[in-house]
Amino acid sequence: MNKKQPLQIIHIPPNPPVPPTLQPTVNVYASLIEPRHANTLIRWLNQIAPLQNLHHLKRIHKRNLEGGKPELSVILCLASESETQSNSMPPDVQEIVNSYNLTPFITKVSKYAALSKEEWQEQCKLWPTSYHPPTYNIDGITGFSEEDAKSVFSFMKSTVELAKSGDHLVVNAAIIVDPLVRQIIASACDEVCSWHMQSNKAKTEACYFKQLEAFTAHADANRIARDISLLSNGSSNNLQKCCTAVSCLNPWLWAQKLMHRSPSYWHPLRHAAIVAIEASAARDRHLFPGSGHNGNSYEIDCTHSSSSVSPAKRQRINLANVKNGGEHDAHTEGSNSIVRPYLCTGYDIYLAWEPCTMCAMALVHQRIRRIFYAFPNTEAGALGSVHRLQGEKSLNHHYAVFRVVLPEEEELK
Amino acid sequence: MESDSLAYMELAIHQAKLALESLEVPVGCVFIKDGKVIASGRNRTTETRNATRHAEMEAIDILMEKWQRDGLSKSEVAENFSKCILYVTCEPCIMCAAALSILGIKEVYYGCANEKFGGCGSILSLHSSYSETLISGEVPQRKGFKCTGGLMTSEAVSLFRTFYEQGNPNAPKPHRPLVQKEVE
Ligand SMILES: [Zn+2]
Ligand SMILES: [Zn+2]
Repeated sequence: MNKKQPLQIIHIPPNPPVPPTLQPTVNVYASLIEPRHANTLIRWLNQIAPLQNLHHLKRIHKRNLEGGKPELSVILCLASESETQSNSMPPDVQEIVNSYNLTPFITKVSKYAALSKEEWQEQCKLWPTSYHPPTYNIDGITGFSEEDAKSVFSFMKSTVELAKSGDHLVVNAAIIVDPLVRQIIASACDEVCSWHMQSNKAKTEACYFKQLEAFTAHADANRIARDISLLSNGSSNNLQKCCTAVSCLNPWLWAQKLMHRSPSYWHPLRHAAIVAIEASAARDRHLFPGSGHNGNSYEIDCTHSSSSVSPAKRQRINLANVKNGGEHDAHTEGSNSIVRPYLCTGYDIYLAWEPCTMCAMALVHQRIRRIFYAFPNTEAGALGSVHRLQGEKSLNHHYAVFRVVLPEEEELK
Repeated sequence: MESDSLAYMELAIHQAKLALESLEVPVGCVFIKDGKVIASGRNRTTETRNATRHAEMEAIDILMEKWQRDGLSKSEVAENFSKCILYVTCEPCIMCAAALSILGIKEVYYGCANEKFGGCGSILSLHSSYSETLISGEVPQRKGFKCTGGLMTSEAVSLFRTFYEQGNPNAPKPHRPLVQKEVE
């Protein structure tokens, strides 16, 4: 029977969550305590055995026993890492142990503060820690409003439909969206197998104007849910059979003779995301002719002393611009006027499949703000599967990545 | 041949200079096949407002267009790329390195390293093949390519420096639509 699977939006963090057994740990002495002693003990312990460099650890671990009775344990002090050496408790702490009749035991706790919510959840399986989310604030990481989630599902549904809209092959599809006005900026499918070189320019110059506004913002939840389940019941088998044609899943496949013959032009690098970026750039040029941003998509930073002319290896070339901070603010200036963002700053992209390395990096270059994809790409995906570009610290731009789980998606596999 | 390599890199540097003259970040490249220059490219990200239009992508598109006009099949195109050597003034970024791997290029020479975005050793190493672990029947797998840096590094870097020292003084003051807020 069909188990109704809820729609889900899952954040794919910059760092892969590390299970508690693999996160670095340290040994501490801990002990069960009487709840009524908790405040006094914590005050004492914080004085005589402060947890230096371990401020992410909670001193007290509270568990609720059956019947709602709380059980408290406390971290007494650091313990030796070697199992044999046992008498390492400082005298002050030993005194507390004696006077409160505690029975210390050694336990492992996380050594470092969690870098992501996922990691934090793993840590708390050992011993509770506190977690401070990164300072950047991208809507959605801490949850989507119902309205936003509706919009996300609606755009994703359109993207998956677009992916199946070709003649007989399923391809990757991409839709670039301005989330503030819920407007489609550009949409594209893979053009690896067929690329109409002659008409292509005209096509991209014209198509993006027919904004498909109608089907986005105002669709009601029931209709979306129904459409999505139709989608997955009806055609999911096709989706599975033909996805060898999806560019990003195996980008190296293009040269294979097995691929169907194409009478038109083709291009091994015209993955959906690349084509969509091209269309959004064409739109930009069309809507704002002659208004060049003086920002460049490259930036070099010659960090060594300016007097040096040597061809030092320390030359650093940062292929991008850092001046993108303010552009997004322009969006908030009334949504009726068309505001030109710098590249795709502030825009989201929806992809049927997790993008390959080439596409994922292209989206870094073009400053996409959030990426939503429906299906993971275990062989070649660059947003968590094979690489994880959203976590590459050296890059000058980082997008947030989400996987959108459509209902009954399992059937696609 | 070392001297040949330098001559080809000169041509790539020349492309980078053309980019600089167009107020683009100065990166240039040439593709060599059978000892002949078959395509060249320069960075056009500002002009196109498409930040993926790196020199390598420009040159690749020229080749794709040309070979298809000549009626080459997919396997012939693949074979051609497998004989190509790329000379580029700056280490290919992650995107371009991935693209070069997809195309199955033979070899890459570059000038300066790209410590923020480099896909040929600086950040990722997309040029090194891991096919031995991934061979699975007939499905083609990721391809590596030989990659050598450090060719005419100082020339490549001095172009970058010129670009940033001039700070784009010649950038035309464009008319901007009134609705656009100046945000910089
Ligand atoms: Zn791709
Ligand atoms: Zn590049």
